[in-house]
Amino acid sequence: MTPTPVTETFASLEVHREMDLFLAQEAELADARRYWEWAELVEDDFTYKIPVPRTPDSPFAPHYDDRVMFLDESKWSLENQWFKRLDPDIYELSWAENPPVRFRHFVTNIRVRTTSQTDRYDVRSNVMLIGVRQSDMPKYITAERFDIVVRRPEGLRLASRWVVLDESVIDFPQLRILL
Amino acid sequence: MTIIDRSTEPLTVYRRSWGDEEVFTMEMDRIFGHCWQFLAHDSEIPDPGDYVTRKMGRDRVIVARGEDGEIRVFLNTCRHRGVPLCRADEGNSSHYRCSYHGWTYTNTGDLRGVTYQPDVYGKNFDKSQFSLFEPAQVDSVCGLIFATWDPDAPTLADYLGDAVWYLQAIVGKFDGGMEVAGTPVRNIVRANWKTEGENLSGDGYHTMITHATAVELGLFATPKDLEKLSDVVNPRFTGRTVDCGNGHTVRAQRLPVEVEGRKFWGYPEDMWEQFERNLTPEQADLMSCLSVNHGSIFPNMSFIENFKTNVDGPDLHARYIRITIRYPISATHSEQVWFFLQPRNADPEWCRLSSLAYLRTNGPSGMFELDDTENFVGISEASVGDYARTKPVDYLGGLHHKLTPAEVGWPGRVVDGDRTEHTLRAFHRRWNELMQVDEGATPSVEV
Repeated sequence: MTPTPVTETFASLEVHREMDLFLAQEAELADARRYWEWAELVEDDFTYKIPVPRTPDSPFAPHYDDRVMFLDESKWSLENQWFKRLDPDIYELSWAENPPVRFRHFVTNIRVRTTSQTDRYDVRSNVMLIGVRQSDMPKYITAERFDIVVRRPEGLRLASRWVVLDESVIDFPQLRILL
Repeated sequence: MTIIDRSTEPLTVYRRSWGDEEVFTMEMDRIFGHCWQFLAHDSEIPDPGDYVTRKMGRDRVIVARGEDGEIRVFLNTCRHRGVPLCRADEGNSSHYRCSYHGWTYTNTGDLRGVTYQPDVYGKNFDKSQFSLFEPAQVDSVCGLIFATWDPDAPTLADYLGDAVWYLQAIVGKFDGGMEVAGTPVRNIVRANWKTEGENLSGDGYHTMITHATAVELGLFATPKDLEKLSDVVNPRFTGRTVDCGNGHTVRAQRLPVEVEGRKFWGYPEDMWEQFERNLTPEQADLMSCLSVNHGSIFPNMSFIENFKTNVDGPDLHARYIRITIRYPISATHSEQVWFFLQPRNADPEWCRLSSLAYLRTNGPSGMFELDDTENFVGISEASVGDYARTKPVDYLGGLHHKLTPAEVGWPGRVVDGDRTEHTLRAFHRRWNELMQVDEGATPSVEV
């Protein structure tokens, strides 16, 4: 289910600025394909889920179906499957990555809310991801991200990410995407 | 138009098949105007009033369960001036009301209400002449709902022929049947609608190349995985391909193990007795020690049951079942719809593992699908050129493979060997048969 805010209290402007930089840094690593460094920014029990988008028959129903996922990953699967497939030693067999699709994240409308636990934040942001395959024109995909970010001694860490896509018919050069 | 050369046993298809709008336009009439097309699974519309919106070729249709419990298909367009009646992907409605002039239909397709009827149409207006447009035939087999525009098409059961046996082996083995898990995923693929079905028809040749990373990631059973399951592990996987007739084909690959009795690894052991009970012995043999079983129902539906290893951790193996459709949009574009099927009342933990197996390998965001899709997109890109389109694709693979002995008891033309183009020849022979329907009436163009 889409997380609802535990409180409607927004975090301080200072925390908003911190979060802006954290999310920009996270996106920089993803766009630069520095996946192992990106993995260091997520908690061990990190989950990354995207429910299946749809057009419902009511303006009051959500435009996704959370009984079934489109993407359903954990830190384990990211490291042992997704990122491993992009590693130099088997890269040549990952045909769709040779050459890879170029990605660029545009993250905006960042809203940070406090939760009942200190150092644990409900972070929502809008994202537009551009994907360019070979000589094709850029395609875009937009979504809202619902993140839980925790503060650790070593810095901010992503505890979970839930992404609600806007389009119900996905038109993008690659569907295994880090939104 | 000569698109296929069938003068010799091997088959040649010209590359314009995957990139030519003229060929595409002919297909819309000669293939999609005549063939049964898969629309939905009956679990998606369980209650009266339920509907989903789908496509037949380029036509938008409503697939609805009426108040009377019957399943019907309607063109999603008002009889009056054409506005669509259902805009959502799925819903429930006792009636469909047009947003333009308010014409109202029952969910069985009858025109019930015409706004300001006496004022607009006078006293004599026969509403029975304005029922929603329906395809010629609608039917279902194994819970799979199909429809065709052709009143002269054979019954669905006859159309599917021997393919029914293989579909039953997959979806018919569970007590309580199967259900589609949630809303199907839809995406646009910049590839000709045929390439996915061609691959799933039985292309066992590409697996170790296109999906080489599967082995590296532990998702494809290795001798190490198999040794934990069986004492006897052979070096080579074995497979068969089947021409079921009418363009439908199947491929079955077996894990290279020797076992006593039947093993349905990928399912919880407490489910195995259901399979023995619900399947014939030969179907159960097909499902035992399965590596992968997939096929295509002509023209544009495919199915797969796949055994994946180490899905969410070491030794966490699971099977999943998937159906896909490719709606044709143009010679180089199509829309894919992905149905993930689960047995009703299965253990939730296993269901989750099956779903992860699906999503990580051959689901819409699956790693294997990325590599397949790149191949399919590339074929259309390379086939639109003026010279490329005149060049041949020669289906020569597997011509020397031997027929499987009849005692094995599988229906259709069954061949030992799954690194083959046996199924592609069957697909394209059927395609050619339908494309040449009006051969005498159209001028032929040599390419």
